[in-house]
Amino acid sequence: MKKWMCMNCGWIYEQELGDPEGEIAPGTAWEDIPDDWKCPDCGSLKAEFEMVEI
Amino acid sequence: MTIMPRLEDLEDKSFDPFLVEKLSTGDCPDPYPRIHELREQGSVVEASYRKQFTDVPDVQMGHLPQVMVLGYDAVMKVLTQPEIFTNKEAFENNLGKSFGNTITVMDAPIHTRYRKIFQKAFLPQVVAKWGESVVDPVVNRLMEKFIDRGEADLIEEFTHHYPFQVIYAQVELEPSQAPVFHKLAIAQILSSIGAPQGPEASTKLGKFFGELLVEKRKNPGPDLISHLATVEADGERLPDDVLISFLRQLMNAGGDTTFRGTSVLLTGLLTHPEQLAAVTADRSLIPQAIDEALRWEGPVTSTFRYAAQDTEIDGHPIKKGTIINTVLASANRDPAKFENPDKFDIFRSRGTRHLAFASGPHLCIGQHLARVEMTRALGAILDKLPNLRLDPDKPPPAIKGHLLRVPEHLWVKFDR
Repeated sequence: MKKWMCMNCGWIYEQELGDPEGEIAPGTAWEDIPDDWKCPDCGSLKAEFEMVEI
Repeated sequence: MTIMPRLEDLEDKSFDPFLVEKLSTGDCPDPYPRIHELREQGSVVEASYRKQFTDVPDVQMGHLPQVMVLGYDAVMKVLTQPEIFTNKEAFENNLGKSFGNTITVMDAPIHTRYRKIFQKAFLPQVVAKWGESVVDPVVNRLMEKFIDRGEADLIEEFTHHYPFQVIYAQVELEPSQAPVFHKLAIAQILSSIGAPQGPEASTKLGKFFGELLVEKRKNPGPDLISHLATVEADGERLPDDVLISFLRQLMNAGGDTTFRGTSVLLTGLLTHPEQLAAVTADRSLIPQAIDEALRWEGPVTSTFRYAAQDTEIDGHPIKKGTIINTVLASANRDPAKFENPDKFDIFRSRGTRHLAFASGPHLCIGQHLARVEMTRALGAILDKLPNLRLDPDKPPPAIKGHLLRVPEHLWVKFDR
């Protein structure tokens, strides 16, 4: 299974959960997340995420 | 084949770092009433966290101006504004003395560069593989020693050893060297109370790791140390001082905290038998049990940051040069965020993240490994120790310490 993961801390974006605290509604596709959104765990920018095999 | 360097013991063989460490972290049975009292005064209180609980002086930080940050949102603000609240000045005179030039003592941009290289070796998909190959054999070996007895002290016989043995396995340390390794790992943090054995242990561990890196570069294998010794980023290897410092810290950050976290997890479940029964019946509850244990009694109650400029937190002015005691334990029991915060409840809403691993760029690098270790350890205990319960003939577990929390004993009985 492939997921978007923050390479600075290992946090994984789950589309069905979104990131409500970061104002990303559940179900939001990765492509629709704004570029200035930050990783909720470590604060890295979206650009620091990579698609990885879990 | 790797020729394993020899570790040198402390000169004073009678010195017991475990006992001294217990004295320095204190035997405070419950810091939370005082923490709640302080938070009620405001999210920022001018004082040092340590001084609330002990008269043992902090020889490295005690003379500096300090505030405690106690509210969840205020703690989060400190942890996620690294350009204002920095690490270097906060840690160079304590952890920096013990471990050296570790990433905890760095700020951006150098921190960002090295952190990413280290984190790569501890990403979830990497450490998940260690569960079966490294953690399970350690857990099984330790449990074999008491599984036929029907009773055990899970602290003395299990949790106090397994995370360290996972690290020994990564380092490929022979069992005969393990006791000295464990002793030096604990002794090195005693620099904070001025014990001469602190720097002595740091030097001896540094020499050992330096020699080990030379060996691993000659004969690299699939292990963690070989990976770190040879990994390159932008065509550059990790400098030896950064790598050796990281390995020194790994023993404490990866060993000691997981020992405490697992001990607290088992204590929480054993003192709440209905929740233990629920997890026993449904192992998919293990992740939320781990998170609740870390929120309820996180192993590290407070960490530091340094105000690099004049600023404010919740309207409270903070002068440049102030040491910020960032009280994670207070954030994790802030009633504004967690209902009935003193209650251990694995079924509580997980809407708000706990801060046991901190937050922001210095978030615990080993959190995924810690979760794998705790999951494997708890799973094995539930599988192999049926009808697990507290030993009614022994004192119940008592979690102690104002800075680092753990029970000394966890006496249990189980069916054979």
